[in-house]
Amino acid sequence: MNHTPGTATAENGGDFDPRQAAALLDQATQHARRTFTPLPPLLFAFRAVVVLVVFGGFWLSVRGQHPYTGHLSGWAVIVAIVLVIINIGLTFGAMGRAGDGVSGPTQRKWGVWKGLMVAAWIIGYAVTAPLYHAGVSHPFWGLYPASAPLLIIGLAGTAVAVAFRYWSLACTCLAIAVVAAAAGFGGPANSWLIMGIGLCAVNLAIAAFTAWRQRRSLVRP
Amino acid sequence: MTADELDPLIHAPTRLKIVATLAALPDGDALSFTRLQDMLGLTPGNLIIQLRKLEEADYLASKKTRNGSTQKTTVTLTPEGRAALATYTRALRNLLGDLNAEGRPAENEDTDYAAF
Repeated sequence: MNHTPGTATAENGGDFDPRQAAALLDQATQHARRTFTPLPPLLFAFRAVVVLVVFGGFWLSVRGQHPYTGHLSGWAVIVAIVLVIINIGLTFGAMGRAGDGVSGPTQRKWGVWKGLMVAAWIIGYAVTAPLYHAGVSHPFWGLYPASAPLLIIGLAGTAVAVAFRYWSLACTCLAIAVVAAAAGFGGPANSWLIMGIGLCAVNLAIAAFTAWRQRRSLVRP
Repeated sequence: MTADELDPLIHAPTRLKIVATLAALPDGDALSFTRLQDMLGLTPGNLIIQLRKLEEADYLASKKTRNGSTQKTTVTLTPEGRAALATYTRALRNLLGDLNAEGRPAENEDTDYAAF
């Protein structure tokens, strides 16, 4: 190790107080964490609202059906489409900003992760088309789209995240799969409500966890 | 323990910010020179001088790639650089513990938060 000979200047540490150094280290680390985190806490908080509104809207539109048909009302579908489009836009924007100028093995792994997740989303929801075509019963039609796609996506995400050793992400995906599995027991109408509340709680928990990790001090207890 | 025992290469405001910023990236990932400059708000000349000092100590590695007429420089923290920052952080913690008559056990910075 070739240390540069120091002089008694601030830039060479001469007048640099350890307390100032600790504060600067934490400040720089926290700034870098916020900058490089692909999905910020605020986005997860927004997603918590989105899932509550979308799944809650679906639940409101099917809960009074006698007999149950599973058909969602037009306004609920329109609101869902608009919010999902906004969410996709915000997500890609945040990921693009975080990854700007960053290269290396983790970025390549992220590329693979994104590709696999897009495939899981397509597979999860594409199955609904042949089911609809086959004329499955109304209760089944109400139950499947509410819980099954996110169960598939959650389990696929958990498997890939474990393979990449992204432990926090694996826990998140597993939590989504657990919520989806639990929603299946709620029945055709209530499964939407359970999904909304469950995913809202998961997103709020991730938002809080991400914010805590970003602010955690390296030096101070 | 005294402040003199802190690694003089890291114990300087600009270099500390550089090392802390690069350490927030997952192991092996690199950052472009221009993004690093934007994040730290430094002039190119100042950043080059500080990067050179850290590179001479093997704390970081830089790589130049040419794409047509443009040249891109990326910098990455080496394992030696990460180890030096971990040692520096522990030393700083101990020093502040001595100063405040309290401390806490050493703890490594984990980087998989980037997975979110």
